[in-house]
Amino acid sequence: MMTSLREISLKNKIFFSTLAMVLFISAAIALLARWILISSLVNELTGRGIAIAQSIADQGRGYVLTRDHPNLVSLIFDNAQLGERRMLVEYIFILDDERNVLSHTFIRPFPEDLGSANPIPADKPYSVARLSIDDAPVYDIAVPIWEGIYSIGTVHVGLKQKHIDQLISKLRITFLGFIFAIFIIIFLVSHKLSKYVTRSLTQLTKLADDITKGNLDLKPLGLEEADKEEHCPAYYNMDLPCWYVDKTLGRVSQDYAPEKPSYCTDCVVKKKKSGDEVEQLADSFKHMVRSIKLYRNRVRESEEKYRSLFRSGPTPIFVLSTRTFRILDANPSALVTYDYSREEMLKTSFLELAPEFKNRFNAYFLENPGAESFIYPKAMHFRKGEVPFYVNVVACKTRYLDREAIIVSTSDITEMLEKDAQLIQASKMTSLGQLSAGIAHELNQPLNMIKMGSEFLDMAVNEKMPLSDDSLREISNEMSAQVDRATEIINHLREFGRKSDFSKEPIDINKPVRGVMSIMAHQLSLQNIVVTLDLDENLPLVLAHVNRLEQVLFNLVTNARDAIQERFKTLEEEGLREIAIQSYVENDRVCLSVTDSGCGMSPSVAEKIFDPFYTTKQTGMGMGLGLSISYGIIKDYDGTIDIKSEVGEGTTFLLSFPMANV
Amino acid sequence: MRKILVIDDEKPTLSMFRLFLNAYGFTVFTAENGEEGLEVFRKEEPSVVITDIKMPGMDGLEVLKRIKAINPMAEVIIITGHGDLDLAIRALNMDATDFINKPIQKASLDQALRRAEERLAMAESDEKEISWSQENGMACIDIRGNVNAASEALLVETYEQISAQNIPRILLRFNENASINGAGIAVLIQLLTESKQRNQAVILTGLAENFRKVFEMVGVTKLARIVQDEADARAVLDAVQT
Repeated sequence: MMTSLREISLKNKIFFSTLAMVLFISAAIALLARWILISSLVNELTGRGIAIAQSIADQGRGYVLTRDHPNLVSLIFDNAQLGERRMLVEYIFILDDERNVLSHTFIRPFPEDLGSANPIPADKPYSVARLSIDDAPVYDIAVPIWEGIYSIGTVHVGLKQKHIDQLISKLRITFLGFIFAIFIIIFLVSHKLSKYVTRSLTQLTKLADDITKGNLDLKPLGLEEADKEEHCPAYYNMDLPCWYVDKTLGRVSQDYAPEKPSYCTDCVVKKKKSGDEVEQLADSFKHMVRSIKLYRNRVRESEEKYRSLFRSGPTPIFVLSTRTFRILDANPSALVTYDYSREEMLKTSFLELAPEFKNRFNAYFLENPGAESFIYPKAMHFRKGEVPFYVNVVACKTRYLDREAIIVSTSDITEMLEKDAQLIQASKMTSLGQLSAGIAHELNQPLNMIKMGSEFLDMAVNEKMPLSDDSLREISNEMSAQVDRATEIINHLREFGRKSDFSKEPIDINKPVRGVMSIMAHQLSLQNIVVTLDLDENLPLVLAHVNRLEQVLFNLVTNARDAIQERFKTLEEEGLREIAIQSYVENDRVCLSVTDSGCGMSPSVAEKIFDPFYTTKQTGMGMGLGLSISYGIIKDYDGTIDIKSEVGEGTTFLLSFPMANV
Repeated sequence: MRKILVIDDEKPTLSMFRLFLNAYGFTVFTAENGEEGLEVFRKEEPSVVITDIKMPGMDGLEVLKRIKAINPMAEVIIITGHGDLDLAIRALNMDATDFINKPIQKASLDQALRRAEERLAMAESDEKEISWSQENGMACIDIRGNVNAASEALLVETYEQISAQNIPRILLRFNENASINGAGIAVLIQLLTESKQRNQAVILTGLAENFRKVFEMVGVTKLARIVQDEADARAVLDAVQT
């Protein structure tokens, strides 16, 4: 019952409840009116009957006393037939005080029992009783005929109830007709009203359903009108944000509100709502739909933008689960770069591609809890089948499908690193080339001694010259020592020229210093440059590579030498020609300083010396790559390099590296 | 016994020199750098000095200059690194007697010492450095000792005499101990250029190997052929005539 009630539409609810109410009220009014009407009508008519009876009683008093029957009869007939009374009066008869019928208007024998019916009680001036004569209901009104204080007879007037009923039914018909007319009107009105009230609601419902289905066409609500008025550029151009919603004209504060563009002043969305509540609701709804449409377009556009970035971007992008580092999604570029099919990729853990990633990632976010992303360069990743290559990695935390996730983007830098390595190697070879004259000289010394020794022995043998044991021992010892010396030089050269990989190992920073000095010291001394080494023998180790640090040092020492030669152009010039190399620990970092007493440089030059191809040397004397490559190498080992220089006073290069945690 | 001074920053080289020179019968003094060398030179006044050219501190050229300033007659032999010919020429221009290349071979050391000896002897005997003779249509110029700026006039005069007689073939015969410095080379090049213009055939012979290299380097060989053996040289010149 309740559910069936609930399922009745609002329209019918309004309609039927209005009708029912009207019906109920009409019925109540009808009943009330009928009661009032019938009772007053009956009273009125009985009053009339009483009046008739009393007038007969007054006029017929004499005839009764005289028993003048004919006059009595004519009197009652006159009264009974007078005008409309004919319709009303059924009968009139007069009784004497013995209750004998004196006269009557019956045109048939007087009903026997009528004479005794309806007696007048003693204390009442008249009596009304309902009687039935020949099965017709009658109101019998009895009025006494007074002669002085004696009652000499009774006048009975019978009023036809049928007449009364006719009057009443006439009234009732009129009344019912009226009520019916009202009912019809109310029916129509309520029908219209309910239809009117529910139409907008029905439309809103339909629209909401449409929106649910994803159709944002606003036609059903007659919004084409709104569309026509639309001249807000943000509505059509998704790149233009809404001033109102996106607050693009600046922060709106109490003191500052940016001036609105003209189309914003009569913005549809902000227009004052008019009409009744349902219309306002519809308006709000329209604007809501408009906003939804706007934002949905934007969201779609933005989503498409990012999706296309993800799908067609050149760099591999992975989405990983934070806990397991499983690959949740990977873009096509990732598949190509890592040589996996999509199905294989989604079954693979990212740690197979990048074994060290987990530790690095966790360590980084443990150290920097607030950070959102982290970058680390030169990581070794593996293609399918354990093929290694180098990448730069950017990782950031995000949410993906309502889960904590990591987005990792990598870029293949293998080629770059190879080029880098080639460049470093090339620069090393250039350095070797620059060294070659010195090295030739250096190798010539032992060769010279060995040659002289062997020639001397040859001479001694050929000329049968007596040779002391001391001389022989001296020659053989010296020759052996010189061969060792030559071997050492060659070994070191080979070591220096060897291509080094990117790996780091804990090394003593003094080692490359000595290595470089073993190649260069003699040459520097030939140029009258004094090298002072002040090396701390108990240095903590640093993570680096001897070979590459030798290259850096070689570059710095060569520059120092050139700077000294620049300052003292001829050997005659007096002055301190010194290169001092110091190693020490400061602020938990291992430092190395190379100081020269050369020409120094101006701050403007010092600013540029790490730029590639910047050189102060003459064309052909250097590529200008030395320091920029050195800078790169130092950065690779998380080191820093600083310069202190005074023109004409000398230069200090200060290198520092973090201690290795061994 | 001649005194000889060796200056070299390499101790092993010094000790080898000492062995050799002792075996040759010199009184040997050694020094490990230029300053020390000059001191010994002043004190001992050796007639022959052998010095390395590349040394820390005072280098060989500086030592040569100072020694010549003290005693222009001292014979100074320069030791150069392999292929350091430009340094050798600079040294010759500064009146070095000779140069020997590292690694030092006994033969070149012997030659250099012998040339020094002979030049010393020649200086003492006051012999003429340049002389010439005519042999069946061929001018034969003998060169001894050191050809330098001082000998320019003599060389030019000799050449003029030859030109006056219109001799088409010239044999420049270098004595074993002959050496030539930068100024000498310049004069020689000038004369050889003239010969070429005059269509004179010129052959150089008897040159020590290290001087041959110097001649090649400065471009003398473009003007005149160098034939080591004298008989061969004569044969070549005879062929030119026919």
